[in-house]
Amino acid sequence: MRTRPLAKVAALGVVGALALTGCGSSNNSSKGGLSSGGGGNATSYTIAFEGPLSGDNAQLGINEYNGAQLAIAEANKDSSLGFKVKLSKSDDQGDPAKAPAAAASIIQDDTVMGVVGPSFSGATKAVAAKFGAAGISIVNPSASAGDIQTLGFKTWHRIFPNDNAEGPAGADWIAKHAKKVFVINDLSAYGAGVSASVASQLKKDGDTVITQGVDAKTTDYGPISQQVVNSGAKAVWYGGYDAQAALFAKALAAAGFKGIRISGNGVKSSVFTTGAGAAGHGWYFTCGCQDATVAPSAKSFTAAYTAMFNTPPSTYSPEAYDATNILIQAIKAAKAAGSVTRSTVNDQVNKTDYTGITGQISFGTDGDLPPGKGTVNLFIDQGGNIKSLGDITQAK
Amino acid sequence: MTDFLNFLIAGLTRGSIYALIALGYTLVYGVLQLINFAHSEVFMSGAFGSLIIVQSVIGRGVHHLPWYGVTGVLLLGLTSGALIGAIVAWGLERVAYRPLRKRGAPKLAFLISAIGMSFFLSQLAGKLFNRFSDNNFPTYYNVNKHLFDIRGVHISLIQTIMIVSAVVMMLFLDTLVTHTKLGKSIRGVAEDAQTAALMGINIDKTISRTFIIGGALGGAAGFLFGSAFTVYNTMGFIPGVKAFAAAVLGGIGNIRGAMLGGLLLGVVESLVPTAPWVGGHTWIGTQWTDVVAFVVLVLVLMFRPTGILGERLGRAA
Repeated sequence: MRTRPLAKVAALGVVGALALTGCGSSNNSSKGGLSSGGGGNATSYTIAFEGPLSGDNAQLGINEYNGAQLAIAEANKDSSLGFKVKLSKSDDQGDPAKAPAAAASIIQDDTVMGVVGPSFSGATKAVAAKFGAAGISIVNPSASAGDIQTLGFKTWHRIFPNDNAEGPAGADWIAKHAKKVFVINDLSAYGAGVSASVASQLKKDGDTVITQGVDAKTTDYGPISQQVVNSGAKAVWYGGYDAQAALFAKALAAAGFKGIRISGNGVKSSVFTTGAGAAGHGWYFTCGCQDATVAPSAKSFTAAYTAMFNTPPSTYSPEAYDATNILIQAIKAAKAAGSVTRSTVNDQVNKTDYTGITGQISFGTDGDLPPGKGTVNLFIDQGGNIKSLGDITQAK
Repeated sequence: MTDFLNFLIAGLTRGSIYALIALGYTLVYGVLQLINFAHSEVFMSGAFGSLIIVQSVIGRGVHHLPWYGVTGVLLLGLTSGALIGAIVAWGLERVAYRPLRKRGAPKLAFLISAIGMSFFLSQLAGKLFNRFSDNNFPTYYNVNKHLFDIRGVHISLIQTIMIVSAVVMMLFLDTLVTHTKLGKSIRGVAEDAQTAALMGINIDKTISRTFIIGGALGGAAGFLFGSAFTVYNTMGFIPGVKAFAAAVLGGIGNIRGAMLGGLLLGVVESLVPTAPWVGGHTWIGTQWTDVVAFVVLVLVLMFRPTGILGERLGRAA
């Protein structure tokens, strides 16, 4: 009697496996036919976006997805391109645990020639190797952790200065204003990384640094804010994301902290400004990104974006727009060279020399924007609006 | 000493929310001997409900109200949060528990249906409102105003409101359970449901009312939490887990235990990781907050497996 249920389970398993492989192969043949039969002359290719489209950090993903959509819409209006581009989306909620499933659905689609994303560093680290194995080129518009380029991902690229550039630049600016700094991170890949680079540069600049971590699922920042006040620090750095920073900003204001409050690119968003309200006024942000509403190179982009989405472009919209265009150009170049496959597209991405709205972009052998390229800008929450203060090395 | 007291106040604030939510777990456990894992979503519903009602009465943004206006809005928020919480908890019992109870389903089935309801409610809220954590209550008083400030020891208005309303509600509940007929029937069902039924107590009604009371407290806690922090669809999860731990810490099924456990857990979370409360120096560090909380829970359960005050609603209340 005991073996019977087991046998049933086994039988079910076999049937299930058969069904799955059946599905898989039929899928492959139909889609495979489309892409391989098309070879160099298919008329439509897909670019996939992976990022948070729901959850606490969805605003950043939506900013980027909109930027990508705009680039795709413009490309499809251009008849000289010779092919159409489609945009598919895959939601990873910015969560490294959910990223593999999001990536798998992209990889399974044989028409996908390149990926814009994943938006977050943790998610990128979780899936970049999978995309690499599938030969799909990744162009990263916002995952800023300073160690991704060292991990040997074969098809990974990033178009903006990473936290190793952003953190120290921010630290140098803080050191001009404060000698004792409280550095807090949210224990995420991005937050811990950027905070570590801020802390080490501050120490080099001769500042006293106190570091603490606060789990990103915290809502009550009362105790840590109290600690910041007690420490007598004149400035506080928060390494983490917008939704949490808003809660921290409120608690910090409640605790009566009067010093400089500064944070990185992960916080610079409308989620922070609306969430924190008055408590967020006067917060500074560093970002290796452009303010599309003021950058002269982005005028037409800003106008088109605003017309399409009824809202001005926000953090990382311009970067995602550029990243998408880089992939479109790579597909175009691959087509001109004779064959559009995932690997030829990736070869073309490697050779990128593209002047986009965020600056001049090329990739080093590690896939990163070469050091020294790109500008880190300083921003401020001014009465609920994020204003650019320009290049951080020049800022007061 | 100044810093110590400030951390203590921060801990009591956090603890009073835990205590209010923990009461919901403990009340239901008392009468049904099962954990209502959807209670964290009752808390979330109370927060959203009160947010919507407060916003529709005074609007969004910043308002300058006289003191009686502020008190009125606070009472409105508390009662609307409690009302919505009670309705949701009552609905939960009807949809997720009563049908199972009538069919004599195993305990595990209750657990699964509670978890299912929890996911359903939090995703529903995400769908109806949004999935960002930027649903703020309007500003109608200066939350950061220090009510008093004695040589650096300060307590803000919102902290006072949280602690005072929690204490008042807990005293009210304690009186209700120990001194009223309804309380007696709850204790009766908790002690021995079948005997209570023989004595003429309507079990279904009593269980329903227990859910309503627990839900009202959870919903009011949702309002307080939302006013101090923010309102979003997954806001219930962490406070829910912590409050459950607090209920176990104090002795699950024990009302005074839940209050004590909640306050204690809040204070431990605030004080232990930040010790020795001098400047920015810490021995442990705030990144260990959750570890500290659960190590304390494990230690207490090692020496007192039924929690600090022991199990059972019927006996200790």
